[in-house]
Amino acid sequence: MRKPLFKTSFTLASTLILALSISACGSQNSSENSGAAATVAPTASGQASDTPAAKAPVKISYLTFRVGTHASAKLEEEQIKQFNAKYGKEVEVVVEEIPSDSAYEDKLKILAVSGDVPDVVMGKNGINDILIKGNLVTPFNDYLDKDPEWKAAVGEAALAANTRDGKVWSISDQKQNIGYFYNKEMFEKAGIQPAQTWDEFMSNNEKLKAAGFVPLALMTGENAWTTNLILAALVGTNGEAGNTFMNTLHPTDFNTPEMIQALNMMKTMLEKYTTKDALGAGYANAANAFSQNKAAMIANGPWMIGDFSDPTKSSADFDKKVGVAAYPNNSLISTYEVGYMIGAKTPETRDAAEKFIRFKTGIEGQTIALEYGNVMPVSNEIQPSDALKQKYPLFVESIKLAQQTQVHYQSFDSIVYPNITDAWKSLYPKLVFGQSTAEEIAKELTKIAAKHK
Amino acid sequence: MVRKNKGYITLFLLPTVVLFIIVYAVSIVILFGTSFTEWSSGRKPVFIGLANYIQLFTDDSDFRKSFLNTGVWVLLQSTIHVAIGTVFAIILNMKEFYWKFARTVYMFPNIISGAAVGMLFLCMLNPDFGAVNSIVRLFGNADYAQNWFMDYTTAFFSVTMTWLPYAAVVTILILAEIAAIPESLFESARIDGASELKINFYIILPMLRNIIGTCVILAGTSMLQKMDIIMMTTGGGPGNETMNLPIYIYKTALMENNFGYSNSVGVFLIGFGLVFVLLCRNLFRIGSSQN
Repeated sequence: MRKPLFKTSFTLASTLILALSISACGSQNSSENSGAAATVAPTASGQASDTPAAKAPVKISYLTFRVGTHASAKLEEEQIKQFNAKYGKEVEVVVEEIPSDSAYEDKLKILAVSGDVPDVVMGKNGINDILIKGNLVTPFNDYLDKDPEWKAAVGEAALAANTRDGKVWSISDQKQNIGYFYNKEMFEKAGIQPAQTWDEFMSNNEKLKAAGFVPLALMTGENAWTTNLILAALVGTNGEAGNTFMNTLHPTDFNTPEMIQALNMMKTMLEKYTTKDALGAGYANAANAFSQNKAAMIANGPWMIGDFSDPTKSSADFDKKVGVAAYPNNSLISTYEVGYMIGAKTPETRDAAEKFIRFKTGIEGQTIALEYGNVMPVSNEIQPSDALKQKYPLFVESIKLAQQTQVHYQSFDSIVYPNITDAWKSLYPKLVFGQSTAEEIAKELTKIAAKHK
Repeated sequence: MVRKNKGYITLFLLPTVVLFIIVYAVSIVILFGTSFTEWSSGRKPVFIGLANYIQLFTDDSDFRKSFLNTGVWVLLQSTIHVAIGTVFAIILNMKEFYWKFARTVYMFPNIISGAAVGMLFLCMLNPDFGAVNSIVRLFGNADYAQNWFMDYTTAFFSVTMTWLPYAAVVTILILAEIAAIPESLFESARIDGASELKINFYIILPMLRNIIGTCVILAGTSMLQKMDIIMMTTGGGPGNETMNLPIYIYKTALMENNFGYSNSVGVFLIGFGLVFVLLCRNLFRIGSSQN
């Protein structure tokens, strides 16, 4: 009699334990069940729980890739810290850290399919299009109308860049003015100055090579960033047609003479004027090649300036060797970041999300971004502090350069569909190893663009 | 007794079955259903019949290349990889002085995450500072700069070498099976004058049929989900030279925002996996007696 009783009890107990362990896997509170998620408003929430009568802060979710060694990690941390100090009693930002840009993009796209996007979203690299098409975000028009000061701080041009059919879908937090950095010592030894024309640019490459230097820090892995900045400059400065192309959102026809010419020139640069590992290399390889005195030039934005005086990233006193230049034909890549979108669903969380975005993109947020991340503000009111000017004179040069240049165009990443951005890493080796001509690559790009839904 | 046991079996299987239905079965049904639709992120699926499948088989060279690569990798993994693991297990079974050390060292690549292995190979095969090119340069060819992962002639081989030789899981499984073979069989063979080589060929290997079949299935199907190392090293390139079906699914879904089409590739991949498993089961008569 005892054995069956024991067996039954054992079975029931096992089933109960199993059921409990399964149910424990799912918790309603997302901020508590994820090891990656971290609540960044401890003071505020703590205060709220101490006083039961006080209204609890509204929780909003926010995913960010600006963490760890990311160039903008410091500014992100400081913005959230200062927001909490100011608005922590009203809004609690639940931050989930995603330590890679591409992982962030993938996660957002998957969340968009299920219609479950975070309350605050960075709409980079096509995420904005997906969210707008899916009616998953709220436009800012009403909020901006209520706060003319904020509207002015962002500026008409930045707002226009993110407006579709009269609706402002995202608020940009930074302007990207991108030229290239060069090693002054290497330039001096090669007897050259920053090029004014593309012929001179190629001749500089040849002279640097003859002087025993690798001219360019290029990379074709990831999104081929440093390579494509030069490609964008080649296209964007090639007459009116090229400039129009580089200022068109989502171009669908890449089979143009400007594109083919640019690809041919880039082929030469990848074959003759860059590091041996450029094909397939990531951004870190290119940045390292420049910062460790292995290459003479790298195309990149001012956010890289801080790295030049960072002993963990650059050789000693490297910042004193670096100059900044515009691309040939007195031109510069100039774009507004897509910035932040409201993905919140309830009126309460929408307002809280707007408050967070308003802080990040307003005068305070932009100032933090400038001082902590060398990020070019969208507002003309904000100027770098004396301390920043002294610490990073190259940044002041970058601002001057942006004011002096006359031809502007956007980067490929900011205009093309995400599947084009992803395709470069497989197309450049094709071009360089002679599997496809520039004409064929241009046709292939057109086909890839047509595949995007 | 049998009746009583049936009750317990049902009770203990129930949670697993429920979990399977929730996690896999529902997903597979949705996957299958949406493969007949045009569906992109932010839009509702629209039924388009067999259009995705027709495009897949008639007008998609990337799919054909991905399928071909996946097939070749499944074949290599289920033959060469398993053979390496089996031979290594038989050598270890001889219990020479080095066997424990060799077993531990051989396990290393299998306990490191795929992403870390990818990074390791990226560094080792770097054209500029990688160990492989540096060694070649030491032997006189100062300008040697082979781009192993991006050159069309070496990319497929290089990626394959990041996983093909490391068959420690196969080795462990085979070693466990060898340990289960009755010692009396070996003793009888030795009394009859059989050499170690003959014992390996005529006693051990035939008795490993079931476990080798299992290893072939495990190794082959692992190639149907291989993604991490390829993403870390070549991303499917150069061109589509190292693209496989999982990478193609990822690209069509998340880069082209074409979830319906991506799901039709997913259905094909599941079908391919099922056919492979059934073939292996029949080939190795898994589950049937060793005799």
